[in-house]
Amino acid sequence: MESIAYNGESAWIGDLGFLLSGISFSCALFAGLSWFLSLRKSDSHSPAGWENFAKKLFFLHSFALLGVIALVFLVLVGHFFEYQYAWQHTSLDMSMKYIFASFWEGQEGSFLLWAFWHVVLGFIFLRKQSEWTAPVMGTMSLVQAFISFMILGVYVFEYKIGSSPFTLVREMPENAGLPWIKNPDYLSLPVFADGRGLNPLLQNYWMTIHPPVLFLGFASTLIPFGFAVGALVRKKLMQWQSPALPWTYFSIGILGTGILMGGAWAYEALSFGGFWAWDPVENASLVPWVLIVAAGHVMLVNIKANKNHFTAIVLTLGSFLLVLYSTFLTRSGILGDSSVHAFTDLGMSGLLLIFLFSFVALAGYLIFLNRREFIRLHNKEDAFYSREFWMFVGSLTLLLAAFHISFTTSFPVINKIFGTKLAGLEIADYNKWQTGFAILILVLMGIAQFFKYRNTEPGEVFARIRVPLFSALVLSLVSGYFLGWLEFSFRLFYLLLLFAGVFSVLANGKYLLFVIKGKINHSGASIAHIGFGLLITGALISTGKTKTISVNPDNSLSSFGNIYPANENIRLNKNDTVPMGNYFVVYKGKEKDGIHILFEVEYLEKDAQGNYSQAFTLYPRIQLNERMGNSSEPDTRHFLHKDIYTHITHPGIMPGEGVEWKGPTTATVVSGDTIYCNNATLIFEGLDRAIDTTGLGKVFLAVGARVKVLNGASADTTVWPLYIIRDSFPEVREALLPNLGMRIALWKINPDTGSSEISVFEKLSSNNDFVVMKALEFPGINILWAGCLIMVAGSFIAVRQRIKKKNVA
Amino acid sequence: MKISTLVVLVLIAVAGGVMISTLSDAGTYDVFNAAYKNPGKEYHVIGSYVHENGQEYNPEINPNLFSFHMKDTLGTVSKVILHKEKPADFERAERIVIIGKAEGNEFHAREVLMKCPSKYNNDSPAKDNAENQ
Repeated sequence: MESIAYNGESAWIGDLGFLLSGISFSCALFAGLSWFLSLRKSDSHSPAGWENFAKKLFFLHSFALLGVIALVFLVLVGHFFEYQYAWQHTSLDMSMKYIFASFWEGQEGSFLLWAFWHVVLGFIFLRKQSEWTAPVMGTMSLVQAFISFMILGVYVFEYKIGSSPFTLVREMPENAGLPWIKNPDYLSLPVFADGRGLNPLLQNYWMTIHPPVLFLGFASTLIPFGFAVGALVRKKLMQWQSPALPWTYFSIGILGTGILMGGAWAYEALSFGGFWAWDPVENASLVPWVLIVAAGHVMLVNIKANKNHFTAIVLTLGSFLLVLYSTFLTRSGILGDSSVHAFTDLGMSGLLLIFLFSFVALAGYLIFLNRREFIRLHNKEDAFYSREFWMFVGSLTLLLAAFHISFTTSFPVINKIFGTKLAGLEIADYNKWQTGFAILILVLMGIAQFFKYRNTEPGEVFARIRVPLFSALVLSLVSGYFLGWLEFSFRLFYLLLLFAGVFSVLANGKYLLFVIKGKINHSGASIAHIGFGLLITGALISTGKTKTISVNPDNSLSSFGNIYPANENIRLNKNDTVPMGNYFVVYKGKEKDGIHILFEVEYLEKDAQGNYSQAFTLYPRIQLNERMGNSSEPDTRHFLHKDIYTHITHPGIMPGEGVEWKGPTTATVVSGDTIYCNNATLIFEGLDRAIDTTGLGKVFLAVGARVKVLNGASADTTVWPLYIIRDSFPEVREALLPNLGMRIALWKINPDTGSSEISVFEKLSSNNDFVVMKALEFPGINILWAGCLIMVAGSFIAVRQRIKKKNVA
Repeated sequence: MKISTLVVLVLIAVAGGVMISTLSDAGTYDVFNAAYKNPGKEYHVIGSYVHENGQEYNPEINPNLFSFHMKDTLGTVSKVILHKEKPADFERAERIVIIGKAEGNEFHAREVLMKCPSKYNNDSPAKDNAENQ
């Protein structure tokens, strides 16, 4: 094929990028192999030699990868729109922070972000040499090789594997064969003057911080995984846990932060009215976290009591493998129907499956090799009244909870394999099982620490938990009464969960104050547990007691269908005061602000004398988004004990050109005909050719329709909408009736029939300005957010303490 | 029996329970005919919006009533009534999943889920270029 010299393309960036991606891939692959070769027990090769070689290759890989990242940024910041990645994700008017965020909007960039964190963690890990360096870094290098291969975007036997961020727009498969790709000057086509820009839905400050934290969380699960691989390779099934534990706690803290940030983003900026929807993508990040939490606890037990090594290994391996599984789920397009924010397939699904199965096979094979060792270690029996036994039970409960979420999220996979047609579960179905698991976990969280390792007198434990137990009972019964959960129905489970949450907070509080005596260094676990207890309690109260306050007052309208409740939305006419919940609301109007329409909704309170006073004003917004469709963004008023959440479900009539006008209604008329409109009656009296054309410029011909406007309220007037011919081009000049909110146009003259076509636009009168709104009250949601912060803080205190301990040991 | 054996048995039993319960909770995607044969039972029906038959939403009168016609995968068309606001960008949906039950000649939806072009979908300038040339 004849090659075309394209003008203006900066092809060198792509060439260099592709070269660096290739280096990144091959160095990572050989670094991984070298590190594993250094593990061989052979005298003929020096292990240190292999290790040094591997280390150099890893450095080379890292620099190549950082180079790739720098080049992608160059493409984005420099607005090289010949590259698909820049064209699709950025535009000239985007501010720097969103160009930054657009880096991880696409799949290729988010893979790079993931790989970037591996490099950062790898460098931190390499600062201390130990017997675990080789297996951890070897595992990491192999993972990096897979990720690098994914962004190479090469063809293997005509199958395109992966996708490169350096693909030119003209190279995209969907553009193959189009005429413009043979145009050497195609870059001067208007479409290449600017890119598509970051999806406005994602132009939110959360988009700049949530993905980096979440991907650091995913990346962090790889280090404990590498330790577990090392333990199996070296057949040292006990010793790996102490050095791996700080990394595991770090993973718990950071991945937890990433997930909770996603929930906060959803609550603040999305309009589904909640912070967690059990969406497959949310679940896919939650499951690895639940497993790493379980793994961390079992590892701690093993360090103290030397048991359950098999479980610790399986949970640790499982956490990272589930990160890979969730990568497959969200990026293969398989979730297509069941999730709103999964990626579509970029030709990666095959490779992602190979990626996943390779590591599953590796893990399975290594466990198989160690089977005798596991059986040998498993000769001691847990004592029933020991801390290790109950922590173990708690970890298995976490495993079951993760299994339930994962199994349900996998319905699309099950459908694919077995040809079934299972529909996704709904929030209530998830909550049913998860409530049970949460009750068990919270109670164990409260009790387990009051057991001693190895053996405890049961009476002793009871004596210690007596106070928190009875306080929690009384507290939850009293608050259960006020929350209306003291009845014999499913609400009993709410009550049980409430009790479990309160109990775990009080029991851990007691442990913190009376056992650890408030010593901050040892308080990590207790603080994290208190945080988790508050998180669940807050989630329970705010979800269980969510109240839709935007109930339409006019019930007769909603009585049509009593199959499903039908009064979640309220209609507010402009300036009408409507009772809603404990408030009265007034819709005051709307205004355009950039790409948003702000709706001013005032909340009033009425005092005993019947006087209204303003409580607060909310500005829920609609984002105008031609590309993705308009989307509604809520506005929330935060109180200490509750949130009032408001979002627009129907904007009424949108402002903007031609939108506030109804019509046109066009009538074909002859002299004397009448046109009836809402605000006036029009009589077409005929065409006038003698028109005063001053102020119209040079015209060839001007014809006016004499229209008499009759309206009961004011004097009759006559207007002349004009039909002008200027330089042989016709032009329509409307007659405006601002007082009546009308525009009249003479659209066409038919000399043959003697008729004319007159169009009337009517402004929708101001009492037609309305908005449909949904408002929810979330009580106690601040308990949830406080719990999140406390839990994360606790995790990091524990990381610090573990690092200290490790250094002492 | 050793405690750990017992724990493992309980674990397996609960896992089995989770699977059975989850599978029995899960609705399956079905067609209108099935729903009309079994009025009052909830079904998930996949289909697409029939543009020709239009839609009705008059928020000035009732903001909680939206109706439209949907064609299921077998080509059966039915009127669907949603007792909620009209979903934003309803017209853009490539596919719709409705959850609800049949009643008389109408399908009353509790939930309308839309499969819109994904926000991660790759746009391509191909179409724009075709329009520009």
